[in-house]
Amino acid sequence: MSLAAEAFVSQIAAAEPWPEKATLYQPLKEDQILLSDSASSLAVQTFLRMCGLPVQVSCCANAEYMSPSGKVPFIHVGNQVVSELGPIVQFIKAKGHSLSDGLDDVQRAEMKAYMELVNNMLLTAELYIQWCDDYTATEISRPRYSSPYSWPLNHILAYQKQWEVQRKMNAIGWSGKSLEQVYEDVSQCCQALSQRLGTQPYFFNKQPTELDALVFGHLFTILTTQLTNDELAEKVKSYTNLLSFCHRIEHTYFKEHDRESQSGSPHHYKGSLP
Amino acid sequence: MYFNKNLLWVKVLSWRCALGCCCMHTNMAEPMELLCWGGDWDLPSVHSDSLIVLAYAKFSGAKLAVKSIDWTWRTITASVPQLHYEGSTVTEPAQILNFLRKQAEMKLYIQLYLLSATKSKMTPTCQKKIKTRITELEKGSPPCRFNADYELTAKQGADTMAYIALLEEKLRPALLHTFWVDAENYVNLTRPWFTSHSPFPLNFFVPGRQASLALSRILLTKAESPLLNITEVEGKIYSEAKECLNLLSHRLGNFHFFFGDTPTSLDAFVFGHIAPLIKAPLPSGQLQKHLNQLDNLCQFCNTILKNYFTDASAEKRMDCSLTAPHDPVDANLQKLTQLVNKESNLIEKMDDNLRSSPQHRHETKPSARASERNSPLLSKH
Repeated sequence: MSLAAEAFVSQIAAAEPWPEKATLYQPLKEDQILLSDSASSLAVQTFLRMCGLPVQVSCCANAEYMSPSGKVPFIHVGNQVVSELGPIVQFIKAKGHSLSDGLDDVQRAEMKAYMELVNNMLLTAELYIQWCDDYTATEISRPRYSSPYSWPLNHILAYQKQWEVQRKMNAIGWSGKSLEQVYEDVSQCCQALSQRLGTQPYFFNKQPTELDALVFGHLFTILTTQLTNDELAEKVKSYTNLLSFCHRIEHTYFKEHDRESQSGSPHHYKGSLP
Repeated sequence: MYFNKNLLWVKVLSWRCALGCCCMHTNMAEPMELLCWGGDWDLPSVHSDSLIVLAYAKFSGAKLAVKSIDWTWRTITASVPQLHYEGSTVTEPAQILNFLRKQAEMKLYIQLYLLSATKSKMTPTCQKKIKTRITELEKGSPPCRFNADYELTAKQGADTMAYIALLEEKLRPALLHTFWVDAENYVNLTRPWFTSHSPFPLNFFVPGRQASLALSRILLTKAESPLLNITEVEGKIYSEAKECLNLLSHRLGNFHFFFGDTPTSLDAFVFGHIAPLIKAPLPSGQLQKHLNQLDNLCQFCNTILKNYFTDASAEKRMDCSLTAPHDPVDANLQKLTQLVNKESNLIEKMDDNLRSSPQHRHETKPSARASERNSPLLSKH
């Protein structure tokens, strides 16, 4: 969105309260969604629960195409459609809910920096493993991504997506990396997060922020997704404070609601946390 | 028996040390060679990544033979910056910083070992530990990404990684756009500069190639939807870059450097990114105008240029290095002795920092306790 349009949307957003029928769209849970999309979707759901805003999760095969920026998840609130965690956080801030108000400038800078670290390393690693590793791409990613479509569209769409991701990896210099190097990067990223978290319940004091939502989304998804091998999950499991962080957020924000409403469970087609 | 074996190893080490495989101050060894773009506009290099490596080399006191690739065929063949040492080549600023730091660490450990062997007061376990560490480093431990500082705590190391990711994601696209995609800047400044610094006939190809690489990088990473064109992407990347600069400014505050009073690898990265933006005479630079309003970042940049890159400071450093070759091993050992006297658990501190830092991945189990027994012995000189 251009800057003028963004400002316009914020103004409109501020005018209305959060409606009852807000919906979050993502690809099909059982058959279609992939690791990276699932992680982003879970991050947004966690953030909304942390703000106490109710949202219905709707799974559609064409969620990616409905989204204004081509990325999932996106939320449909009133008259507006906003996609990706960054713009959603701003949109919700315009409505008057914010998790990071209590932070001072330096802490906000740190929070943004760590969010970029997660996006830069974890998300890129997830995309790499899904689409640039031949075995995973053939066994898991392509079949899942194209499952709602019939032949020959499924082949065309799957290969198109794979080429797109590979071009992006080329542009940022990740195409020369081997799988072991990618796992190593994930490990270092987790170590940095583990160091930053330390023994605190959340990353910044006692209150959760969008950084906690983002980290939870990615780590939980990595831990509960079955890929061709378990190495990625093993890398994350070796940091006990990150594991307990995930457990804590799952219990606080997802178990209670599940008991009440029997929906919106973060357990997708994978198992539950070990 | 044990002592004789160790004596032989000490001899080998001191020979290696004298050849300067790790010794930064001696002139006897073949120095490390760095290939990078040339300098202009008061900067040692106009290329961000090269500046990062040059700045870090100055901070850590590494002696680099800087070779500019201007007017050579390397302008199109080499990926800059590139470090050559003893037949091996390292590219990418992060890998080069890691390599330099590893060299510095190896030097320190070797000299610690020499000190221990000559004084023969360190316990065998501690000596063995140092020896293992040296062989590890020689073999080439698994590459770490931003493992450039062992003076920082583990949390500061994690912060370094996070801020570098922020720079790469938010600031770099806007820098690429300012220099290579913005029509006015490209035609009036960047293209003429690179054309004049490339040999014939490469001067027709080099700027165009860089510009198309920059544009494709921006479009692939930032313009994800097919609906956005370059003008809408521009707005988004500039606003993100301005926010990133504001965040850096908040983080720096009133300090000289990002982590206290000594510069670290994060300072090198920030310097490398913002120095060209401050110093280049851009015809249309909205980002430059924004950066000039952030006084502490401009001050930061000028401080580094003044203290590390002007001729006066270079002469001062040359004087120091001239005295060193008279007795490189002794002088360094003396310095090391002082260091050890100042902090009696030097090994333990370094080890702890290394082991717990997020960039450091090693499987060996350090026995830090051994060093505690040695520190009172080491400290008496």
